Amino acid sequence: MFRNILVPTDGSPLSHRAIKRAIQLAKEQKGRVTGYYVGPTWKPKGGDDDSIAYRMISPQQHADIVKRAADRILNAVKKASEKAGVPCNTAYSMGDYPYLKIVEAAKRNGCDLILMATHGRRGISRLLLGSETTKVLAHSTVPVMVCR
Amino acid sequence: MFKNILVPTDGSAPSRKAIKRAVQLAREQRARVIGFYVGPPWQLPVYSEYVPPEVMSPKDHAAAVKKTAARYLGAVKKAAAASGVRCKCAYVLGAHPYDEIIKAARRYRCDVIVISSHGRRGISRLLLGSETTKVLAHSTVPVLVCR
Repeated sequence: MFRNILVPTDGSPLSHRAIKRAIQLAKEQKGRVTGYYVGPTWKPKGGDDDSIAYRMISPQQHADIVKRAADRILNAVKKASEKAGVPCNTAYSMGDYPYLKIVEAAKRNGCDLILMATHGRRGISRLLLGSETTKVLAHSTVPVMVCR
Repeated sequence: MFKNILVPTDGSAPSRKAIKRAVQLAREQRARVIGFYVGPPWQLPVYSEYVPPEVMSPKDHAAAVKKTAARYLGAVKKAAAASGVRCKCAYVLGAHPYDEIIKAARRYRCDVIVISSHGRRGISRLLLGSETTKVLAHSTVPVLVCR
């Protein structure tokens, strides 16, 4: 039923749990996983996102920093997939609206399921359901499995 | 990965799609499907001090809900039987469907809830149905949201 599972991850512990589930499900379904990361866009005047320090750096420097973060975060997906013997590919992009990129990535990569955590890096305290997860649910054209 | 798949239904077209997916997943996982319906609680319709004469008694209301449940849950039984999937169905009366759904997941030891993004009240008003949103917020097991 699910041959290609898109797993968006922001490197947070909850994302790690979603990755584990996705790989387990892919293994049972004899399918594959596609790890996906959305980094922040370069902003000349700075912004709210403080995951990557990007003030006073050039767009090229920003792109390099995002690439390093993506490699680190997506490596977790690659390693876990390899261990389970599940085929895996990864992709990343930069965007102000992660949910849009995620929904597009699912379409572009031919994914038939998006599996993601209820919350990401910004954590549980404020919302019952994370903001990006909520928006992915609202806009996805494929089924979305939400795991805690 | 999944042994008991809870599929809440309100008889709507989106629900029927969720039922299809739940049965397919159950077949692949050799799991059991648990169809679940939450009917409205009996309420005495009082308009200021006037009670309309054609009021349903609690007993008649319960019978009506039972009939509706049989119809909606019958769709789950049919789909499951057609795919050779084990199935159990249950229904309750409750003012808060999401709450009953969460309790049912616990009661029947379900390890996933398969639910449609919207139900009877349709897509026009909300990006994500109100009960589905609440199930997502409170569920302790994964929730597969289908459109």
